[in-house]
Amino acid sequence: MKLTIAKDQLLTGLQAVQNVVGSRSTLPILSNVLLRAEGGQLHCTATDLDVTISCAVPANVEIPGTVTLPVKKIVGITRELAANEIEIEVDEKAVAMVRAGASYFKVHGLAADEFPPLQSFQNAKSVTFTQEKLKSMLRKTSFAVSTDETRYVLNGIFFSFKDSKATLVATDGRRLALTDEDAEIAPTSQADFIVPTKAISELNRLLTAGPVEIQFTENLVAFRTTAATEGGTGVLIISKLVDGSYPNYRQVIPQAPQERITLVREELLQALRRAEIMTSDKSNSVKLAFGRNQLVITGNTPEVGEARETLSINYSGKEMAIAFNPTYLMDPLKALTNDEIFFELIDELSPGVVKCNEPFLYVIMPMRMS
Amino acid sequence: MDAFFASVEQRDRPELRGQPVIVGSPPDRRGVVSAASYEARKFGVRSAMPSRTAGRLCPHGVFLRPRMDAYRDESRAVMALLAATGPHVQPVSVDEAYLDWSADHPGTDPEAALLQAVPRARALQTRIHRERGLTASIGIASNKLLAKLGSDFNKPNGLTLIPDRDRAAFLRPLPVRALHGVGAVTEQVLVAAGLRTIGDLQDHPGDLRALVGSWGPTLRQFAHGEDDRALEYGDDIKSISSENTFGTDTEDRPLLRACLREQAEEIAGKLARRSLVARTVQVKVRYSDFTTLTRQFSRDEPVTEAREIYRLACWLLARDKLVHRPLRLLGMGVSGLQEQKIRQLILPW
Repeated sequence: MKLTIAKDQLLTGLQAVQNVVGSRSTLPILSNVLLRAEGGQLHCTATDLDVTISCAVPANVEIPGTVTLPVKKIVGITRELAANEIEIEVDEKAVAMVRAGASYFKVHGLAADEFPPLQSFQNAKSVTFTQEKLKSMLRKTSFAVSTDETRYVLNGIFFSFKDSKATLVATDGRRLALTDEDAEIAPTSQADFIVPTKAISELNRLLTAGPVEIQFTENLVAFRTTAATEGGTGVLIISKLVDGSYPNYRQVIPQAPQERITLVREELLQALRRAEIMTSDKSNSVKLAFGRNQLVITGNTPEVGEARETLSINYSGKEMAIAFNPTYLMDPLKALTNDEIFFELIDELSPGVVKCNEPFLYVIMPMRMS
Repeated sequence: MDAFFASVEQRDRPELRGQPVIVGSPPDRRGVVSAASYEARKFGVRSAMPSRTAGRLCPHGVFLRPRMDAYRDESRAVMALLAATGPHVQPVSVDEAYLDWSADHPGTDPEAALLQAVPRARALQTRIHRERGLTASIGIASNKLLAKLGSDFNKPNGLTLIPDRDRAAFLRPLPVRALHGVGAVTEQVLVAAGLRTIGDLQDHPGDLRALVGSWGPTLRQFAHGEDDRALEYGDDIKSISSENTFGTDTEDRPLLRACLREQAEEIAGKLARRSLVARTVQVKVRYSDFTTLTRQFSRDEPVTEAREIYRLACWLLARDKLVHRPLRLLGMGVSGLQEQKIRQLILPW
């Protein structure tokens, strides 16, 4: 294998995949990146056996071939090289010679045939989105994913492809975020599955512009992006699916709100940020008191002090005071970009709902004084 | 209080006075002795002993089912008498409490203050006996460690003063197990190192940390009768637990789940009544051969609701595959408790 490649291109390819390489890999080969030079491209691939990422970048391939190299070393070398053009040549013993300007490195690799093969998605079901749309859907849901290791099925985002609608749901048992979009879904591609958190964070990092094809089987999902521009990079993210059934999220969506209040998102967010300052670990709630045309938000900790924020709103419903964890209330406000949001309430012990002028719904459980 | 549960029974049923009374499970059933009257103790019956063993040791013992409500009411009445002596009372269990009277003798020489406490303690003992018909044993000393040892020293109806200058001498002949914090495991370690009595500990030239780890310096202080633990007031409980011993050993999942659900409800109820939240959930299993295992899980997000406690307990049992053979006992508990007046409601799954 022999090729020359621009430093920026090599770095792009390596940085796209290196995140999945764990520091405590059980198999030495999993600390390596698989490099495959072929047809004017260098394909970089890394895996932790749960998530696999592959990224193709343009290269000038003289002799096609494959090798695996320790990813930490090769990223370090590439980042520090002074010259812009890098030549990589690999001998039959998987030893790589890296030359760039006045620098020369010899790096011992491992044969590529020991690297776990990429899973096949032949005959898999598939749905295609734009990367922008998928990224926006992930942004509106991923903050609500559970990190609690005892709630395995909630450690990911639920994808549902049904009746020309793609729905994404995330919940940690205290709040739930849901968004949906119209999508072209073939009758044979109807399905639902749970994509684990690690794959989600890689998607959040790697999605840019252009189309993304989502392929899925019983236990695997692949996200395949195509570069929007000539000479750009395409990325493939493959992940195992979370094995388990997602809870029936529809049952927790309140059907008949008593009050629907329009609020200025940024104004509410700022007020909550300030009120949160006076909360504490033991007293981690803010109280929202709705009165005639005004909302008073208070946060307090006994013997520390209190914050009081008064917002002018349009409200003529019954007086109501309801307490929430400020983080859970601010999360969707940070994820949205709309000027206005709608807050729907029933009473102080029933779930509240945040909506906006886009397909988005957020259910948040209140806190109760005992 | 002396043989508390048994004494309450003997007070309420005069025909039982002078009889060996054993409160707990019947001798032909599983379960343990909760309390034994002094007449029963002569036969070697002790609390926490399996009832079958007690039945063997004391075949003519009068076995009574515990009447917890009666004991709790009695405990409240006695604690009220203690509270009448001053504000500094730390209940330790239903029948034990520490009183701190040091504020009543400001500036007095410590030995003199201890002596002044004697008539007050005697008056308290008399009042408990007169108003409640029960006897109590009292230890008077300069700290909790010694006061407790003093109260155990001359039961029943005992009153023991440990003068401050005599504390090391008082402790010398006692077995190491008598010290607060020395359980079966620590005792084994100490005895293996040739340290049988508290005197042995006092004379031990080496670093006790080599034997008992970071607890070494405290153990040395305790051995010399030094203890600076303050009284803890109010409902300062460290953990809440619940467990069931089954009539027949079982691995029937629906039964075990029902048992866990009930325990979780009980624990969540206690948490709610005290406005507490927990950060640690523990499960306990005991197999037919008495092998006992516990597993626990801690997290930042506090646990309050029964179904959450239940879910975490099930998760722990499943994670470590603890139910792979019939269980004699199944239990759960919560700890890492913190007062929190406001609790997060959760979605129904």
